[in-house]
Amino acid sequence: MTLDRRQILAAGLTLGAMSLFPGMSWAQARKLVFATFTGSWEEAHRDVIVPHFRKATGNADIALDPMLSVDMIAKVSAAKANPPIDVMLMDPGPRLSVIGQDLAAPFPVADSKNYQDLLPVAQLPEGPGIFFQAVGITYNPEKVKTPPTSWDDLWKPEYKGRVGITNMNSTLGTAFMVELAKTRGGGENDIEPAFAALKELQPNLGAVAPNPGALATLFQQGQIDISPGNFNAIQILRARGVPVEFAKPKTGTIAFLTTAHITKNSPNAKLAAALIESAMAPEVQTKLMQAPFYVIPTNSKVRMDGDIARMIAKDQEELKASFVFHDWSVINQNRAGWIERFNKEIKV
Amino acid sequence: MTAITAPGLAGPATAARPRIGREWTLALPLAAFFAVFFVTPLLLLVAVSLYADAEMTRFGLDQYIRFFGDTFNLAVLGSTLLLGVKVTALTLLFGYPLAWLYTRSGPRMQSALILVIILPLLTSVVVRTFAWIVILGRDGIVNNLLLSLGLAETPLRLLYTEGGLVAALVQVQMPLMVLPLITTLSRLDPNLLDASAALGAGPWRGFLKVTLPLSLPGIVAGCLLTYAASVTAFITQSLVGGGQMLFMPQYIYQQTITLHNWPFAAAISIVFMVSVMGVVMLFNLLGRASKGYVHA
Repeated sequence: MTLDRRQILAAGLTLGAMSLFPGMSWAQARKLVFATFTGSWEEAHRDVIVPHFRKATGNADIALDPMLSVDMIAKVSAAKANPPIDVMLMDPGPRLSVIGQDLAAPFPVADSKNYQDLLPVAQLPEGPGIFFQAVGITYNPEKVKTPPTSWDDLWKPEYKGRVGITNMNSTLGTAFMVELAKTRGGGENDIEPAFAALKELQPNLGAVAPNPGALATLFQQGQIDISPGNFNAIQILRARGVPVEFAKPKTGTIAFLTTAHITKNSPNAKLAAALIESAMAPEVQTKLMQAPFYVIPTNSKVRMDGDIARMIAKDQEELKASFVFHDWSVINQNRAGWIERFNKEIKV
Repeated sequence: MTAITAPGLAGPATAARPRIGREWTLALPLAAFFAVFFVTPLLLLVAVSLYADAEMTRFGLDQYIRFFGDTFNLAVLGSTLLLGVKVTALTLLFGYPLAWLYTRSGPRMQSALILVIILPLLTSVVVRTFAWIVILGRDGIVNNLLLSLGLAETPLRLLYTEGGLVAALVQVQMPLMVLPLITTLSRLDPNLLDASAALGAGPWRGFLKVTLPLSLPGIVAGCLLTYAASVTAFITQSLVGGGQMLFMPQYIYQQTITLHNWPFAAAISIVFMVSVMGVVMLFNLLGRASKGYVHA
């Protein structure tokens, strides 16, 4: 048998194309793609939700693809007819864009075993809330001797040059500004007091981080000693031995739901629903609540314990009483203008 | 097409003549690749930038009008282009002596130097940038040194400042400047300097009249690479520059990913691209002028 150059070239190109576009080799539907968050969230979901889902579905094929909510939206809206993702995780702001742009299919509430057990605030038929995120004051206990109790503590003169914030690109940064406005007589519709307060905070500002991850790094580097911070980010730092603590402000912990959505036009809609079902299950949420993940549960059947009970809420009643939720439908309408203003006005 | 190639293949006698044969077909795969993965997306980008509203329902030049109608946007563009100039100038200032040293060293020293020069390229830009956070931080190497020497009483703000960003970018982009410089300087005939010395030129005069003009092509190439890389260095700009210093790459990211305003993001991408191309063309003109100068 002789092979000429043309045949070899053709074979080579075909092989190359097949490895570039593996979808061409299989005609059937792809495996379920769960777009989770990056970092420890991915670990938590891989270790706890995925095994439960596999067991429930007889080892269905699943792949985790970690990214930010906003990146999920960009990817799905770029390929609406054939989305590359089946299950999306959303913060409240992006959640509303997903619903607004009609990128999510409703969750089949009637067929769900766990949906009715979710706290009322998490019962959202467009995509149920599968955990809470909490934003409070984070501080370095070695440098900040008296634990802070209020957002106003960030303005104390002794923290000159040691306060960190993030800009308004992130949910964390935007939620902090809205809460600031609220504690000073404004709110979702009146951000003015927050900008005024931030101007007063400028001597204290040591850093405006580009994202929450960078903010966490700054604690590690000793660049900042106190900042608004996400409870889970703090737990990760603590686990690595960084001296950092979480404090609940007396006006309440800023809370937001993270919701799970079935992508519209997903070829795996049934499996996607099964994955969300697993994420809501009390046994899954109980496991996720414990070390090293510390994920705040939304299922009312989960009994709070450990660090979550100590630092966030001892039961669902306290959780309801201490959590402050913001109206993201109003925030989303104003956010572009706020970000533009932040770009222009906040200089260190 | 087939008719043209036949006489060309006749014999070695015609081989020296420049031929327009079928060789151009060799470039077809690359041309197709560029057409599909470079030209098409670029045209799509232009098309998206011509939508008047974020929901992409009507066409118009609104995005461009919005960009040029606000001095803030122009300031962001200006500071980005200026950042590139600062970084390029400093890289040239530090890189030139390094490249010169390399060409004058013995083989053993050369291999040590080339390792130092190339090493940054072998490390991920994210890792290098994080190293700069450690160096510039409140508790970082620079501040600790200054404090222990008594040169500062409180830690200086170095991280999230433009100075810190320029320093980090200079280090990160240094190989892009030094490598083209080494190539040009090594090709320089050492006899030329000897000749200029024999004719009475001192070392500085020799450098200014002989070495510098002859190395201009390397300088232009190095500046082009450094400039283009530093104005678009998204990772270093955001991690060392911080969340309140806004440069074009983050501005584009913010408009696309956070605000979903794709038409505006596309418009500012195109404005940015055209501006950088303008600067690059200036460099190129300089390079062409230098060639004339060298041969004169």
